[in-house]
Amino acid sequence: MAVDEISAVQNERRWALAMGGVAAVMLAAIVWAGLGLHMNPPSNIETVDPNTLHVAGEFAENNLGTHVDSAGKITTRIVTTQFAFVPECVVVPQDMQVTFRLASPDVIHGLIVVGTNVNTMVVPGFVSQVHTVFDKPGDLLMPCHEFCGLGHGQMVAHVRVVPIADFRPDGDGRVTCDN
Amino acid sequence: MDTIKESGANIEEPASALLIQPVPSGAFALAGAAVALLLVAWLVMYFFTFLPRGPVG
Repeated sequence: MAVDEISAVQNERRWALAMGGVAAVMLAAIVWAGLGLHMNPPSNIETVDPNTLHVAGEFAENNLGTHVDSAGKITTRIVTTQFAFVPECVVVPQDMQVTFRLASPDVIHGLIVVGTNVNTMVVPGFVSQVHTVFDKPGDLLMPCHEFCGLGHGQMVAHVRVVPIADFRPDGDGRVTCDN
Repeated sequence: MDTIKESGANIEEPASALLIQPVPSGAFALAGAAVALLLVAWLVMYFFTFLPRGPVG
C-alpha cells in the first residue's frame, strides 16, 4: 500500500471515529433521559373493539371530553375519526397532570399538541394514552399528523389550557369548551 | 500501445497516487462543520426544547 493510500485510509478512519462519537453523544443523551428522567415514548397496550367503541363504554359520545373523577384525576377522552376529533375542543387545566386517552373506529390517525411533547398515533383496536402537564394557558392546535384520507388536512382540534381558577367541572365532573 | 495496455499497473499507480496525494482537507473541513452544526442544533433542541416539555409516557 502506498504511503498516500495509507494516509487516505487514516483519514477515513478518523472520520468514521468522529461520526461514531457523534452517534454516541446522541445515544448517550437519549439513554440518560430515558433512564434518569423517564423521558420515554408513550406506550400503552390496551385493546378496544373499534366496531363498538362509540356505542357504549369509555368512548361513548356522552363520556368524551375532559372529566375529573372523584379522586381528582383529570382524563380527556377523544375519538379520532375520519376526518375529525370528537370533541373538536377540549379544556384542560394549567399545571396539573392530564391524561389523554384516545381511540379510533376507522383508520390510523395521529396527533400532536403544538408546543408540547404530546405526540402519539391512534391505531384502531388500541387505546392510546399520553400523560402531560401544560405549563402555560392558551389555545393549542392539535392536528392529525398521520395521513388518514382525503380530509386529513381538515382534521384539527383545539386544546384549551386554562388557569386552574377557570377550570370548573360541572356536577358530573365534566368540563367542556361551552361551559 | 500494446505495452501501455499490458502494463496497466504502471499507468494507474502514479495516476492514483497523484489523485490521493493531497489530503482533501477542505472536504473534511466542510463536512466536519456541517456535522458539527447538525449535532449542536440537535443538542440545543433536545436539552432546551424537548426535555423541558417533560415526559408524556
